[in-house]
Amino acid sequence: MKNLILIIEDNADNYYLMRYLLEHRGYKVLGADSGWMGIELAHFNNPDIILLDIQLPGMDGYEIARQLKSDPKLCVIPIVAVTSYAMAHDREQALAAGANGYIEKPINPDTFVDEIEKYILDFGVAHEDSDSR
Amino acid sequence: MKKIHTAAVNNNDKSFSGQNAYRFCNISIPQTVVLALILIVVWGVIFPMQARVVKVGAYHNSPKMIITESGAVSGIFADIIDQIASEEGWQIEYIKGTWDEGLSRLQSGEIDIMPDMAFTTTRAALYDFHREPVLYSWSQIYAHKGLSITSFQDLDGMRIAVLKGSIQETTLRNMMAGFGFNSQIIPASSFDDAFELVRSDQADVAVTNTYFGNLKARMYNLDDTPVVFEPSTLFFASKKGRNTDLLERIDFHLKEQKSTPLSPYYQTIRLWTSETPKYRLPRWIVLTVIGIILVLILSTVVTFIFKHQLALRTRELRLINHEMELRIVKRTEELAAAMEKAQAADQLKSAFLATMSHELRTPLNSIIGFTGILLQELPGKLNEEQTKQLRIVQTSARHLLALINDVLDVSKIESGQLELNWEHFHLMSMMQKIMNLVKTQADAKNLELRLDVENPQDTIHADQRRLEQVLLNLLSNAIKFTESGSVTISCRKSNEFYLISIQDTGIGIPKEHLRMLFQPFRQIDSGLTRKYEGTGLGLSISRSLMRLMHGEITVESQAGIGSTFTITLPIEGGHT
Repeated sequence: MKNLILIIEDNADNYYLMRYLLEHRGYKVLGADSGWMGIELAHFNNPDIILLDIQLPGMDGYEIARQLKSDPKLCVIPIVAVTSYAMAHDREQALAAGANGYIEKPINPDTFVDEIEKYILDFGVAHEDSDSR
Repeated sequence: MKKIHTAAVNNNDKSFSGQNAYRFCNISIPQTVVLALILIVVWGVIFPMQARVVKVGAYHNSPKMIITESGAVSGIFADIIDQIASEEGWQIEYIKGTWDEGLSRLQSGEIDIMPDMAFTTTRAALYDFHREPVLYSWSQIYAHKGLSITSFQDLDGMRIAVLKGSIQETTLRNMMAGFGFNSQIIPASSFDDAFELVRSDQADVAVTNTYFGNLKARMYNLDDTPVVFEPSTLFFASKKGRNTDLLERIDFHLKEQKSTPLSPYYQTIRLWTSETPKYRLPRWIVLTVIGIILVLILSTVVTFIFKHQLALRTRELRLINHEMELRIVKRTEELAAAMEKAQAADQLKSAFLATMSHELRTPLNSIIGFTGILLQELPGKLNEEQTKQLRIVQTSARHLLALINDVLDVSKIESGQLELNWEHFHLMSMMQKIMNLVKTQADAKNLELRLDVENPQDTIHADQRRLEQVLLNLLSNAIKFTESGSVTISCRKSNEFYLISIQDTGIGIPKEHLRMLFQPFRQIDSGLTRKYEGTGLGLSISRSLMRLMHGEITVESQAGIGSTFTITLPIEGGHT
């Protein structure tokens, strides 16, 4: 069974782009356009990886990452920040908030899915093992 | 003294002659006559050499003349005449008595000179005086304790004790008559007697000379008053026409001694008056002292003026200083405000850049992303023309992204906001990663990529992402400008530095362009710009980044043969 991927992103075009690429490679994709909805979906669907936009209305990506990582059930799910923030400390700040990886927008459609797969392999091994038969 | 010595020698001669007389006692009469003649001559020589006896009248008038209980004579006049006598070889013989007795003895020739004689015209007719005074003296009124005498008028109705026969008595009687005072003159036998009369309340005041008064008034419990009169000059005097030679010698010695400080004269005065005698300083000393005093006064005045001016200046400076301080404080405040504004502006700029970057990237994400998807033919097959056109969109979009990234970098570097993330990492693995990134590019042009690292285990301390950015820029430049041959990246160690060079066999750079190479937007000639796309910011950013890491980029190139870009980077960059 292919992995379930949760994308938290408020821009419909960006969500569509990522979802298209991932689904084309056989992944199941869930979408949330806000932090609280993302956390809710994570609780109920237990995704294999969460792709997290940083600039979101209301709760921002750093705060979402912190909440996910402080939840004993959800903390094992790898988070990859996907953001168009490009200032000095964006990467460090995202990693400090609990993200396991960082992909800068605009994404490279040729390599995007490969990168996500790599993160799943690197950070999500234990989870995948316990979830699959 | 010399003469006395001579006399002694002559005495010896005499005794010697005597011995001869015994030896030749049997010789002839003419020889005896010669001997007698010799004796007479010797005697004649000795006789005038005998000390001259000078009879001096002595009466008690302390401290000028003192006759003690035992009969010894001393005092100012006695000491002075004794001293002169010892110089002159005189033998002084004092004839004691009262003042009146002394005067009559002088008149009768019983004494040669009388001391302590005040000069008056009346006396000048009777006596001879020498010219240099022995003392200057004044008469002064001394009053019974508690009696307030402040002027001559206060003497009216008083009982006045005065030395009998003295000048004071004469003067006083004349004055009393002249003023019409109803005063009673009480004659006293001596000054001591006069003071005693006042003490025992038989008189109200006494008149004595100042020498006596200064010495004894306190002893008799009398007050000295400001009433002073009859200044007089005191001399030794002789009877008119007699002993003038004595007076001349006295005059000579007095003149000499008075012109010599610390002479016996002054010692005597000091001894008897316990007052510092008036010694006339030589003119040059006086002038010198006056000169020194003038200089001192002048210098004091000058110092005072300078100090005053200094104080003024100081106050002025203090004022200016205070003003300056106020101005500085104001200026500092202004600067702080300006700084705050500038910082706010800076923050605004940063925020603007971040937002712009974000806002530009979001649509680019769609453009690049969907172009990629279409070109991957994920939604469906494309015809040749569609593919060609979509590639143009893709290339343009990527160029636009590169421009955005570079402009962002330049503005961050220029505003000093670019912060480095120092870390230790393996040089070799980083190089391999970059080689992989440019491999497709090189393969497309059929170029050979070579990696030559001296020691593959070496690590470096730098900002990995930024170093990668620089190397990537240099490598893609090398590939871009090389049509055939190879691109070699090599790394060597030299002292504290790594030397990383990227060598190509490309078109090279003309010498005249080398200097401008690292300036922003300086891709060489417009023809090239079209052929080799780029932002024109890469090398400028690379050099800035290297300098931030305490390194440098240099270039060597020959047109048509190739270029070598060399990065010099400290091994422990972050620690310098």
